Amino acid sequence: MLRNIYLIFRRDYLSYVRAWGFWLGLASLPIFMMIGAGMAAAVANSSPQRYYAVVETDGRVSEALRVKFAGEAEEMRELTRELTERAGVETGATGAIRHDLPQKDRFIEVPAPATTIEALRPYLLGEKMVSGPVGEKPLFAAFIVNPGTRDVEYWSTDVSVGDLRFSAESALKKSARQAALTQAGLPADFLDKTDDAAPAVLERLVRDGGAAEAQSAEVSLADRMPRYVSLGLSYLLWLMIFSVIQYLLMGTIEERGNKIFDALLTSVRVPELLTGKLLAVFGVTSTMMLVWGAFSLGGLFFAASAIPEFGDGFGAMTATLLDPKMIFTALICFVLGYVLYGSVFLALGALCDTIQEAQTVLSPMMILLMLPMFAIIIAFNDPGSPVIEAASWIPLFTPFLLILRIPNDPPMWEILLQIGLMALTTFVIVWFATKVYRAGAVNGATAGSAMAGLKRMFGGKAKAAS
Amino acid sequence: MTDAPLRLDGVTKRYGQFTAVRDLSFSVGKGEIVGFLGPNGAGKSTSLRMALGVIPPDEGSVSLFGAAPEIKSLRRVGFLPEERGLYKKMTAEDTIVHFARLKGLEKSLARKRAADLLEATGLGPFRKTRIAKLSKGMAQKVQILSTLAHAPDFLILDEPFSGLDPMNQQALEDLIRAEHDRGATILFSTHVMEHAERLCDRIVMVARGRKMFDGTIDEGLNLLGRAARIAVEPGFDLGAALAPKGFVAERAASKGAGETWRVAINKGGSAQDVLRAAIEAGAPIVSFTPEEGRLRDVFVTLAGEAEGAKLDEEKISAKDAA
Repeated sequence: MLRNIYLIFRRDYLSYVRAWGFWLGLASLPIFMMIGAGMAAAVANSSPQRYYAVVETDGRVSEALRVKFAGEAEEMRELTRELTERAGVETGATGAIRHDLPQKDRFIEVPAPATTIEALRPYLLGEKMVSGPVGEKPLFAAFIVNPGTRDVEYWSTDVSVGDLRFSAESALKKSARQAALTQAGLPADFLDKTDDAAPAVLERLVRDGGAAEAQSAEVSLADRMPRYVSLGLSYLLWLMIFSVIQYLLMGTIEERGNKIFDALLTSVRVPELLTGKLLAVFGVTSTMMLVWGAFSLGGLFFAASAIPEFGDGFGAMTATLLDPKMIFTALICFVLGYVLYGSVFLALGALCDTIQEAQTVLSPMMILLMLPMFAIIIAFNDPGSPVIEAASWIPLFTPFLLILRIPNDPPMWEILLQIGLMALTTFVIVWFATKVYRAGAVNGATAGSAMAGLKRMFGGKAKAAS
Repeated sequence: MTDAPLRLDGVTKRYGQFTAVRDLSFSVGKGEIVGFLGPNGAGKSTSLRMALGVIPPDEGSVSLFGAAPEIKSLRRVGFLPEERGLYKKMTAEDTIVHFARLKGLEKSLARKRAADLLEATGLGPFRKTRIAKLSKGMAQKVQILSTLAHAPDFLILDEPFSGLDPMNQQALEDLIRAEHDRGATILFSTHVMEHAERLCDRIVMVARGRKMFDGTIDEGLNLLGRAARIAVEPGFDLGAALAPKGFVAERAASKGAGETWRVAINKGGSAQDVLRAAIEAGAPIVSFTPEEGRLRDVFVTLAGEAEGAKLDEEKISAKDAA
């Protein structure tokens, strides 16, 4: 029996991993991560430098914006310095990274070429250019201060880029606040100092075992890590099931379409065939996950060695993953969840001749699969939500939601009972899926005839009841 | 244990209201080549699938090597299904190896068998070619080789000749004979009578899900009654001349000189008896040709009878319903 399962597994596994699509999928994560990082850097570096002009008499808006942008640039330099120093990278004029270089300004003020909106319109529309530090460009925006009301009008042809307007609002508020403070005879940084003087609210975690010392009660990344890890694992299981649907369906549809079942079924039993196929797809997904995991771990190791805080988080993550309760639960949820959903998709595939046909029967399953995804989103915001707790008793959702509940330390009897229910449901579904698979593979049943069979089944019951 | 590799005993298979196979019984003895004949839709494939345990019969029993079909006994069987199918992305060699290993062969032996079979059938240069890139005939050959690779004791071939050109049909006949010489028992279904005439020790004919005949080819030919064709000079009434001697003669289409009559050979008699009676009756004989029996005629007649029986049955059912 095991030999047959191995042979079916081996053939299917090799057929998947020898396909170019598999390698494309395997390379997709690292490639997309690199492309994503590259694009983010490119976007950051390629953001255009835009000109703006201020029409005012007292220079209030202009000065407020200048101070704001100068402050932001200094903050950015400070952050870069801090990060590079933490990472131990040599800095300074002779070092690898220089943070004394001027920041690239996104918005540059130029002298207003006109004082009314009518006269400024050609410059804003790009019909006329203005000269500035980065050459001739159209005017991106203009601030016109009403001398009477002191209201500031913001004119631009592109209102989708609101950064400059928001910066102006923020800068003017700060400027007004400082002016008021000065008028009242208070120092300009009075409010900042007042904020600093307010008592801090320190987050403390009540731990088991009487460790009540303030020091040990401090909340660290390690305390939050179980929640992040459980969310990650739950999402990983969901992603895994979601990504194997195509493999499971295609594998069976190919065999049905190629009329291989009869030849196979004189050599192997249906459960052996089903198990071998499930294992093959599990193997393919595991291979993919392992490669992606290794790539991600490599990145994490690199980050952990470069940034000490990251290293602490990495250690906490490892500790969470090695927690016996988490390992035990996650392992069972992964295996049962995969078998439960995988067998359903295999059975559906056995009823279809084409992928188009399969798509019609897939819809209800996809809706069912989307529900745990919503639960994961709820759990992200409120891991102790009663919705999660209640939904975790539904065996179809247990594989995803029980993992999410582990950080909240549910009673062991609940964990065991939910696992028991999930195992029982998996057994029933696999039994039923085997029947459907046999009907499709051996008797050529289609999705339509299976539905008719179900209707007959329920119709018959209804008749009997009446 | 029994010597008969296969025994079907009163098997019936229904699909809803439709009865595909009805009370079918026959057996295949060790070392026999048995032809399983019948028109399209006669229930041949359904019967073979029941014989292999792929589908269970609704009634009756199947015995494969003396027991109900199971994976262990099926390892001694090579099955070529009617609906051909292979994994399109696998190479010819890997396909044969895969199916041979599923039948219990070790990897090295399976590889050797695959290589030998591919060489022997002229497919050696294509052993690393994917099935999708082979011609239909070549792919069919690969499937046949997959059936043979584990040197089965019993070969069940469902319509093995369909889709093959005459050259490959001849090659397959040779292959079947070679397997038989090796000691394999063979059961194959077909609706092409010539293959059965050339290969079979025995035939089982089915039509409309029923067994119509089970016996040797000679016994089959005798079912129709044999005849002789006698051409006499025009104007001579051979029918009237032979009637007193107990022979029935009918006018037949004339191809050569004279008028041709078809004279039925009486049961247990021979063509010589007809010739002797014609001479004794003073018939001016121009030519005399004993008719050769053809399995095709038997097939058509029996299938026609089955059709008639089915119609009668339907009439009775309709009457009962009314």
